[in-house]
Amino acid sequence: MTAAPYNYSFIFKYIIIGDMGVGKSCLLHQFTEKKFMADCPHTIGVEFGTRIMEVHGQKVKLQIWDTAGQERFRAVTRSYYRGAAGALMVYDITRRSTYNHLSSWLTDARNLTNPNTVIILIGNKADLEAQRDVTYEEAKQFADENGLLFLEASAKTGENVEEAFLEAAKRIYQNIQDGSLDLNAAESGVQHKPSAPQGGRLNSDSQSPKESCSC
Amino acid sequence: MSFFKRKAKNKEPERVPDAKATRAPLSPQSPSQATRNHNAFPEASGLSKVAFSAISANMDSFASGRTAILKKQPSHMEAAHFGDLGHSSVNYQPQETRSRLSKSADQVLQDNVALPHFMHYMEQRGADHLVRFWLEAESFRSTSWSRVRAHSLNSVKHSSLAEPVPVSPEGSDPQTLVQSTPSDPNISREGNAVTSEWREPSSTEAGLRPSTPRADTPNRQATSRAGTPCKGQSSSTLRDLSDKLMKTIEKDAVTIFTKYISPDAAKPIPITEQIRNDIVAKICGEDGMVDPNCFVIAKSVVLSILEQQHFSGFLWSHHFCKYQIEVLTSGSVFLADILFSESALFYFSEYMEKEEAMNILQFWLAADNFQNQLAAKKGQYDGQEAQNDAMILYDKYFSLQATNPLGFGDSVRMEIESNICREGGPLPDCFTTPLRQAWTTMEKVYMPGFLSSNLYYKYLSDLINSVRGDEFVNAGGQSQGGSSDNERPGSQTQQGSKKAAVKILKNFDEAITVDVASLDPESLYQRPYAGKMTFGKVNELGQFIREAEPEPDVKKSKGSMFSQAMKKWVQGNSDEAQEEMAWQIAKMIVNDVVHQSNHNSPGKATKL
Repeated sequence: MTAAPYNYSFIFKYIIIGDMGVGKSCLLHQFTEKKFMADCPHTIGVEFGTRIMEVHGQKVKLQIWDTAGQERFRAVTRSYYRGAAGALMVYDITRRSTYNHLSSWLTDARNLTNPNTVIILIGNKADLEAQRDVTYEEAKQFADENGLLFLEASAKTGENVEEAFLEAAKRIYQNIQDGSLDLNAAESGVQHKPSAPQGGRLNSDSQSPKESCSC
Repeated sequence: MSFFKRKAKNKEPERVPDAKATRAPLSPQSPSQATRNHNAFPEASGLSKVAFSAISANMDSFASGRTAILKKQPSHMEAAHFGDLGHSSVNYQPQETRSRLSKSADQVLQDNVALPHFMHYMEQRGADHLVRFWLEAESFRSTSWSRVRAHSLNSVKHSSLAEPVPVSPEGSDPQTLVQSTPSDPNISREGNAVTSEWREPSSTEAGLRPSTPRADTPNRQATSRAGTPCKGQSSSTLRDLSDKLMKTIEKDAVTIFTKYISPDAAKPIPITEQIRNDIVAKICGEDGMVDPNCFVIAKSVVLSILEQQHFSGFLWSHHFCKYQIEVLTSGSVFLADILFSESALFYFSEYMEKEEAMNILQFWLAADNFQNQLAAKKGQYDGQEAQNDAMILYDKYFSLQATNPLGFGDSVRMEIESNICREGGPLPDCFTTPLRQAWTTMEKVYMPGFLSSNLYYKYLSDLINSVRGDEFVNAGGQSQGGSSDNERPGSQTQQGSKKAAVKILKNFDEAITVDVASLDPESLYQRPYAGKMTFGKVNELGQFIREAEPEPDVKKSKGSMFSQAMKKWVQGNSDEAQEEMAWQIAKMIVNDVVHQSNHNSPGKATKL
């Protein structure tokens, strides 16, 4: 998806991490393409996708790095954690093992990212209620204990997918507002375009044309 | 990047039908050809490059088979189409390319550019003694080996004196030899001469015993230099000298011990009693000889402390930002610096997306990661799994029904096919050819634009801002412990640092006053002549005077703001000046002609 240039005033870098097969790539694809990839192959190394969304009236572009979950790619994917403004930690609600591995992913995330990085826990495949293996409550408790946002989502139906990315973005934006995240610092995971078109120069200039437009 | 394909077709049209005829990737030919293909990669088989090109040339002359095409095509394509004679592709080492912007603790300690920044950071934390110990221990180790070698050589060859060679009193190795105050200034100078010569090679050896034979010539040089301060000396004095050499080693060891290891030291390094005793034993060896490796264990302990407790804090500190700025403004930024640095990659990805070239970057990242993780297994991997991974990449980027086709030519595709379908699974160099091409494309086509783009400028100013912000905070007297260097309390600091950032940017290059607002890309869309709705008019000379602003691309292609400013200083506005001159000359000629024609036919008054 190519976005119209200069349409946004911020860029936030996200990473998506979690065990293999939990649906990270599908979440990304659902978010950027609004489609569910039924037969998507596993990710090799890392891929990225982007989408623009609106956060508190500002247009924000999300640059999302989707990492491979396979253990063999763990070493190479670690190098992409750095400088992420937000991290989506995904597990599969129908497979308990993916939930159990969360502490290892969380450790990596905490060690390798900025202390201000917003981490959101996502329990994917919420549409498969019949095969649920992890309750909402226990995951919520885990998230609360570790200071993480939490949502259950479904990449297949699209439920809560936008919200997941949006919640993290809102929290990041809030951090910028209250100063705990310096958006003009490198490695914050945030790029900022200095003057956003919020009724600024563009409007005021067009109010004083030299001659009337003859089109 | 469809130009890959287009150009391939233009250059070798006759090969296309050939390729089509032999296309089936699972043909019985492929295993043997695959083997031959793997001999094409010197790293894999040990075949030298010279031999390889000789073989290719031979195969060329009498084999019109696929292999010859496959071997020859890539380098031809690169040389012909990327206009750099394939230099950059020749230098592409997939496993070894690293960013100067992303370093490990070990690398920083050995990098002259990064080290001062790291030292400042550690000084701020009051832990610089760890670094100093490591550095001194390291140079002690390497210089001791050379001194030991010189000593053992002298005791064997004390009779063969070369002519005196002028001693160059290089003041090298300041850390060890300046601090150790040797008794004889002659010896220290002499030691300098020997050690400065040896510092580079010795630091790469590990645990080399003095009895291991080394190249003869350098040793002879050492001997001759050993003889220098005393021209035409006898062998006894030489023995004296070598004894003194050993004494300096002992002195240095004792100095280091006293400074860092002894419990009475001002700031001892945190090592266990056992290690300390071990060091003592190695310094005061039974044979009176100091073991040059006596500090090795302590060094590794210190290194792991640095890595675990301090290094990540350093990477988040403004000192590291300063180092990055230094690298990025050094005048030569390489693609490796960008691609292997996460923060630079963030900006570069955004740039590539704007240029609608994300696919190249994605492919490069994926294939490089694939190869790296495969190489890391050192041959112990599941071939089937690797093949599946490789097939995913193939389906995405190479196959004829690829979802994200990159436009690689047929020959590359066939090479990949045979690499993947290799018996036993693909090797870690499976995608080397397209990786190299993608790399070259990014380097030649996109990097220059990126380095002159606003995005890059923004990245630099963000780095500077980080430096400023941090220094502002730290200057306020609060150096919070731990890894909280990046906390910026309150928005006031932000304001202050923003102003400071603008100031810094102004100082950065005095020729340009940088107005942060002018980085606003919206201004490119604004047309001061918007009301007139004309692009321009034609003047009396037929010259088209443009009234619209030039396109944004034109601005970009002129180079970065820095280089533009430099050009202004050096040449004046040369482009416009030349054009202006050309128009003046044209005017003169026209006037001349008019004048002459008026002269000839005075009746007519043609006004031009």
